Amino acid sequence: MIKGTVKIASEICKGCELCIVACPQDSLQLSREINLRGYRYAELKDDNCTGCINCALVCPDSAITVYRMPKKSK
Amino acid sequence: MTKEIRLMKGNEALAEASIRAGLQAYFGYPITPQSEVLEYFAEQAPKRGFTVLQAESEVASINMVFGAAGAGARVMTSSSSPGISLMQEGLSYIAAGELPCLIVNVNRGGPGLGTIQPGQGDYFQSTKGGGHGDYHLIVLAPSSVQEMADFVFEGFKLAEKYRNPVMILTDGALGQMMEKVELPPEGSLPYVRPEWATTGKAATRERNIVTTLFIEPEVMEQVNIKLQKKYTEICEKEVRYETINCEDAEIVLCAYGLSARISQKAMDLAREGGIKAGIFRPITLYPYPYEILNKLAETADHFLDVEMNAGQMIEDVRLGVNGKKPVHFTGRMGGMIPDPEVIYQEIVKIVGKK
Repeated sequence: MIKGTVKIASEICKGCELCIVACPQDSLQLSREINLRGYRYAELKDDNCTGCINCALVCPDSAITVYRMPKKSK
Repeated sequence: MTKEIRLMKGNEALAEASIRAGLQAYFGYPITPQSEVLEYFAEQAPKRGFTVLQAESEVASINMVFGAAGAGARVMTSSSSPGISLMQEGLSYIAAGELPCLIVNVNRGGPGLGTIQPGQGDYFQSTKGGGHGDYHLIVLAPSSVQEMADFVFEGFKLAEKYRNPVMILTDGALGQMMEKVELPPEGSLPYVRPEWATTGKAATRERNIVTTLFIEPEVMEQVNIKLQKKYTEICEKEVRYETINCEDAEIVLCAYGLSARISQKAMDLAREGGIKAGIFRPITLYPYPYEILNKLAETADHFLDVEMNAGQMIEDVRLGVNGKKPVHFTGRMGGMIPDPEVIYQEIVKIVGKK
């Protein structure tokens, strides 16, 4: 399986939670902290992201960048 | 120039539409969920040549609007609930001075400092006159990003036609929501400097005076009579509303803005479930479309008022229905959004069949 990770622009995120619903791995959650506008933003909860980019596709504000890393062969 | 289609946030669409409507000055103060309006203006102003100023408070910004409107400029301000509360004194002055301007309220959950999530708790404040004295704002309630843009043009037109402040009452979800929006070309709303504008006395005419102070009660009453005559004319000519599937409806959902969008889904669920539901959506919250409601009360059996507050517009729905049929209520408060499924369950409960 491909290992992935996401970077979320916390100042752009408005906490609409669409990405949280879209994530098949249940890796995202709303932060406890708030951003400058006062919104709780999406953040990575578990390190089980597969880089499927569902979250980035549904994000209406293009706040999510997805990175994919090929697993090193032993 | 042709129309342009863009994907925009409600707040940005509203700001872009304002520039295209020939906005000359904007005075405002940042507040979530409305900050994008000020940000968009600040970014565009140097390129497109209009005045943008972040005032020291909402009180200052509404009084700057008062001044600019008095000088005949096409001017607007925007804020969210707590900020609009601060503006109420200025709004009463602007209405008394009979000056055209546009105020945008991106409603959030209250009362108090409240929350930054969407709400509709400012209905009373907007439509019944939140400030002092016998005055009214013309209140427009968009329910899509497209209407956020369209109603800016409509708002400036009405404001200038009647010399009365116009409020666009929207909410935090519509302001933050991204949708396709068709923007009219720039300069499609011509501007003529009004003859009453206080721009300095010319040799050819008398002084223009804008004032809201009339010490003698006889004069003050005459001003009030003139204002009321204007409001009566507005009530006769400018009522706007939308009805969906109301012809055969046994239950009519009454909702404005975001609630109307949510109610549409509930209406679809009800129709699928065999209940004839329709939607009545007032577009102008002042003047309120009482007459059509009264007509609907002859054919429909029930009215269900759906709002994101504890039930404010329901009073106007009752006035319209005038006791002919029962009026029910469902809604969420404090920044929570009603669920279409829950509204549907409420419909089932009222109509009493599935």
